Amino acid sequence: MSQPEVLQQSFELGFTYTRSVGPVVGRFLTELRNRNIVGIKASDGRVVVPPMEYDPDTAEELSEFVEVGQEGEIVSFAWVKEPREAHPMDRPFAWAMIRLDGADVPMIHCVAANAESDVATGARVKAVWADETIGFITDIRCFELA
Amino acid sequence: MANLAAVVGIGQTKYTTKRDDVSIAGLVREAAVNALQDAGLTWDDIEAVIIGKAPDMFEGVIMPEIYLTDALGCNGKPMLRVHTAGSVGGSTALVAASHVQSGSFKRVLTVAFEKQSESNAMWALSNPHPFSTHLNAGAGGYFAPIIREYMRRSEAPHDVGIKVAVKDRLHGARNPLAHLQKPDITMQEVEESFMLWDPIRFLESCPSSDGACAMVIANEELAEQAPKPPAWIRGVAMRSEPTMYAGREEVSPQAGRDCAADVYQQAGITDPRRDLDCAEVYVPFSWYEPMWLENLGFAPEGEGWKLTMEGATSLDEGGDIPWNPSGGVLSSNPIGASGMIRFAEAARQVRGDAGAHQVEGAKLALGHAYGGGAQFFSMWVVGAEKP
Repeated sequence: MSQPEVLQQSFELGFTYTRSVGPVVGRFLTELRNRNIVGIKASDGRVVVPPMEYDPDTAEELSEFVEVGQEGEIVSFAWVKEPREAHPMDRPFAWAMIRLDGADVPMIHCVAANAESDVATGARVKAVWADETIGFITDIRCFELA
Repeated sequence: MANLAAVVGIGQTKYTTKRDDVSIAGLVREAAVNALQDAGLTWDDIEAVIIGKAPDMFEGVIMPEIYLTDALGCNGKPMLRVHTAGSVGGSTALVAASHVQSGSFKRVLTVAFEKQSESNAMWALSNPHPFSTHLNAGAGGYFAPIIREYMRRSEAPHDVGIKVAVKDRLHGARNPLAHLQKPDITMQEVEESFMLWDPIRFLESCPSSDGACAMVIANEELAEQAPKPPAWIRGVAMRSEPTMYAGREEVSPQAGRDCAADVYQQAGITDPRRDLDCAEVYVPFSWYEPMWLENLGFAPEGEGWKLTMEGATSLDEGGDIPWNPSGGVLSSNPIGASGMIRFAEAARQVRGDAGAHQVEGAKLALGHAYGGGAQFFSMWVVGAEKP
């Protein structure tokens, strides 16, 4: 008996889904289009950015939007020495947790810097907007050192 | 011996093609809040949350239960996700019931959902495979040959499925939450509708819906304090079998027969047509009514279609055993929720809270769900009287 040929075939499984973001995340993205950053006030008074739909402690629906600053400080970061194709920048940069002025929790975004030694916990950064804003998180192109 | 448990709150969303005004979290939240309000309770009154939905591929959100904890007030509480394909809404309710019947929890919330508008269930159910032709046949393509075999064996007239399609839409027109609202539907309209998967016509098929359903299940002590009448859980059963094996009876699966026998025995039912007042049964394609009438013992083998044609299952014809007074899956189909809707609608009937589709004086009702290749079955019997 002859040996069977072991076959393989490249196989791509894909589908374009639709995503409805709802009124809270929808408001956040709409505000980005207008070059504003909004958070939401939780039951304990903390301002959460990006906003969440339901309170983490009481489970109540949240609705009190708060505009926060476009500057803030780095809480922590990871330096990307050799960016890959999927990365948002083609030169070394930092992924950072950034606590915006007026917010109580950090959000993640990228920080442009010339050198790792320029980035530090506590460093001040400010948002750089994309030329055209469309209601995506990438409307904030990156943060840069303030 | 299990502890007693009862449904003390029911909440649903209005079923519709597209709920693009809410996120998935917002959708499940709406049903959950409605159930808490119906029960006169708040999030603090809930000890655990049991959630169910059909395959993750349907919305493309993997493990959505993790993202839904905030929306369902689960922080600091046990949360469990159930998955048994299309029957999941039913088996989710049964897992929730078992949490209470075991004595481990006093009061739990259970929720099931589907947001079909975020994807295409037909694609997700029959996605392409390597080395094969992509049939994209969906559930209808799977069930069509089984229906044809039932038609051949039973020698039923050709219009039985058409009659079910009309009957369930007339029921649905009484239910403001039903997706399809077709109070003027006719046999001719169904017969002339597009043939989707021969012998299944477009109007003999379920719609594609967004929606969620939720229930609060409580133990005996808390159920007796509830502001509205409880629906006492009188029997619970699940059975499964493989999709395919040599000699499998696909028209009337053994797992369905065994599941029904088990739940009837617990509820003291010897003749389901006589002993039950109504049934909410998973009928996504019209011919499944006569097929399940036989599988569930409401009619002898080969004679289920006679009940349908006599009007026995119709509210409008004053039938003695109305099936799917809410309009059933043929009127609303948010897949993951569809089984729970059957269970919840059975409970609404025995609570006397079903509005314009109330079966007068209903005291004992069956909720039924099936899924996969008609291989997962879940059922419960609920009653107005405490056992």
